[in-house]
Amino acid sequence: MPALTGHAPSLSLPRKSGRVGGLVAATLDPDGVSPRSGLRPAFPLGVEEGSLRLGVPALDAALQGGLAVGALHELAPASELQLGAAFGFALAIAALAAAKDGRQVLCIATEFAAREGGAPYGVGLDLFGLPLERLMILRVAHPRDALWGFEEALKCRALAAVLAELPEAGDAADFTATRRLALAAQAGGGLGLLLRHRHCPLPSAAMTRWQVASAASAPDRFGGLGGTHFDLALNRNRRGRCGRWIADWNHDERTFVPQALSLGMAETARDRSDRARRLRTA
Amino acid sequence: MNDAAARLGLKAGMALADAKAMYPTLIVADADPDAEQRLLAAIADWCDRYTPLIGLDPPDGLTLDITGCAHLFGGEAAFCGNIVQQLARQGFAARAAIADTVGCAWAVARYFRHPPLQGEGRIAEGNPGRGPPAYAIAPMGGVRDALLPLRLAALRIAPDIEAGLAQAGLKCIADVIDRPRAPLAARFGEHFIRRIDQALGREDEPITPRLPIPLYVAERRFADPILLEADVLGTTEALAQELARMLERRGEGARRLEVALFRTDGKVYRTTVGTGAPLRDPARIRALFAERLTAIGDACDPGFGFDVVRLAALATERCDPLQTGLAAADHAAELTHLVDRLGARFGLRRVTRLVPQDTHIPEFAVAAVAAASFKTRSCGPLLRMRCILPHGEERGQSSDLILRSRAAPGVSKDGCAAQTRGHPSRRAQERAPQDEAATASAGIQADSLCPARPIRLFGWPEPIEAIAEVPDGPPVRFRWRRVLHQVASAEGPERIAMEWWRDRNGRALTRDYFRIESREGVRVWVYREGLYGHELAEPRWFLHGLFA
Repeated sequence: MPALTGHAPSLSLPRKSGRVGGLVAATLDPDGVSPRSGLRPAFPLGVEEGSLRLGVPALDAALQGGLAVGALHELAPASELQLGAAFGFALAIAALAAAKDGRQVLCIATEFAAREGGAPYGVGLDLFGLPLERLMILRVAHPRDALWGFEEALKCRALAAVLAELPEAGDAADFTATRRLALAAQAGGGLGLLLRHRHCPLPSAAMTRWQVASAASAPDRFGGLGGTHFDLALNRNRRGRCGRWIADWNHDERTFVPQALSLGMAETARDRSDRARRLRTA
Repeated sequence: MNDAAARLGLKAGMALADAKAMYPTLIVADADPDAEQRLLAAIADWCDRYTPLIGLDPPDGLTLDITGCAHLFGGEAAFCGNIVQQLARQGFAARAAIADTVGCAWAVARYFRHPPLQGEGRIAEGNPGRGPPAYAIAPMGGVRDALLPLRLAALRIAPDIEAGLAQAGLKCIADVIDRPRAPLAARFGEHFIRRIDQALGREDEPITPRLPIPLYVAERRFADPILLEADVLGTTEALAQELARMLERRGEGARRLEVALFRTDGKVYRTTVGTGAPLRDPARIRALFAERLTAIGDACDPGFGFDVVRLAALATERCDPLQTGLAAADHAAELTHLVDRLGARFGLRRVTRLVPQDTHIPEFAVAAVAAASFKTRSCGPLLRMRCILPHGEERGQSSDLILRSRAAPGVSKDGCAAQTRGHPSRRAQERAPQDEAATASAGIQADSLCPARPIRLFGWPEPIEAIAEVPDGPPVRFRWRRVLHQVASAEGPERIAMEWWRDRNGRALTRDYFRIESREGVRVWVYREGLYGHELAEPRWFLHGLFA
């Protein structure tokens, strides 16, 4: 029994009987379904309803049914040049969440982040799938103000998603700050998306951590640019395994389209944080 | 020049050398009119505790409208005494006068002499402390009598007019007040007559208030000043309850609220919060001011404490009671609360919504509007229409035309031109709801296109070094932020000419925009400013936005 709980540190399961132990074993199954017991996957109750299905089966399976709503998710561009892709992915998630129940999306950015990486552009956002009447923008001076606003906004039930951008690695959002944000998101039930402009090695209380890049697109039949392709690396996932996928974003239909060809990647140890994995690969 | 200097016989306008010669120990300081004006404004702020309607009367006067205020201080004499005494405590020598008209009060305050001349006996005067009388009160209806013995300068006329009148033997107001008006007007100007009328109350003279007059006010005075933030907020909430009763009686809610904190030493702090919807709830008013005070931080120094706290509603709006639903949570109300809270902390202008504008120039195509002043319901459908149109048929056709005319001279990038030409029209087709078959056949091909506008736009387009085919090919490679990018594929050009009314000096250049994907998959929006040969010999390249 203690060995089992050691394998799943992020799951807060009651340790009462052997039956519960069986459930833990079921979550350790890569597919999230236990073939032996036929039980439903043992993620906490109500998670199915509290998930935002992304529409890419492999991704949704890894996320145990979809991106957890009422939780904090962290994103960073794979390199500094990929900021557009990371912002685009966050925006796509926000657009999905907003389309689901007609609530609003709030984008928070510091002045510096907006100057350094460009400000969200309304016409483009609208074309990308997030209607302008669903969008509010907050511009603040300091990262700590952004975090304060982020927390306040996450507590508000009228927002489907809150997207906050921090310049550079966003050192202001350390473990304590992200824990606060995660709790606020839990209270408000919205989707918290923290976009750091650079990958941050600090520990974080986020549910998932992504590194996003744009994948090369297949040119359309006129030889122009193809659709939006994301190269998604899920580096940390409290509810399942990590991995790397390529997904397209269809901005007209507002859906992710799975790419047939998924990138091969070494299976990651599920009980290790992304930091440990990076150290090993380095 | 202070009183001591005046007693020594010095006069304003004397040469400094003469004065120094008379009194070598004289202390001289430069005049600072701006500082004096700020001081006057600060005194006006302090006077706000007596009446909200205060006008500045530079360089050295204040005009207070005390209609209905004097009885709160125990009558006009006590009122005047209070002001003069409080100002004396702060080190200001002041003379106060109360009269029916602004002109008369001005005249009496400055030119009424002690001991009273003959006929001046009806003016009540006094001083709360010792010394010569510091205030004078013209009785109600006694404007004319109060004015008669005063010098003509008391009518607020220019010195040369006064000198002219003196040459004619007219020295005091009694000399001119009953004279025929036409000759006086002909010789000394309409302005002179007007001043007489204003002083006598024949012509109305409004006071221009320094600050907006609040619509609703609640205030509390303390015998002992309060110091703690919790006390200030508690008082604010108590005042908000009073205010809420007043507002409720009129069926209104506050849109802008102000708390004025009067420090014991005369400094006044004013903090204003705005709201997105009419507001009456005291707890929420308190919460907003709590945010605001936190945001201000140390700028609001309590010093020895505040002795008056005043809450005022500066702007109100009709506020009908709403039926709250039992089942569904009220998202709209919650959103308004959030906007108010964020606005109180960061300023309402920082919480914005984007509104499309009718222009092709990318950086002006969207305007940010404060979310608190944005009406969702009225703008909703309009938004959608506007958003679709420029990128649908309208924009599509215009760029179509440009491209066709340019395609004729034999642009080598056939595929590129054809692609852009096809792209908008296909988008338009796809947007049309009736033609579902076409949409289906366009299907995945149409969907695989990149959106026409980037999701992030640089406020200042970033200069890049690009190598491109002359005259108007897309870049082959470009250097942005010291990183060299190889272009994998490009779409364009989309030509956007500047609007002619912005082109004042012929400097607004045409831009050719390209959507570019680099070998690494990074997608950017770049443009060439200026046309080769026509507008510039060496056009420059800029990076304007990022795609996903």
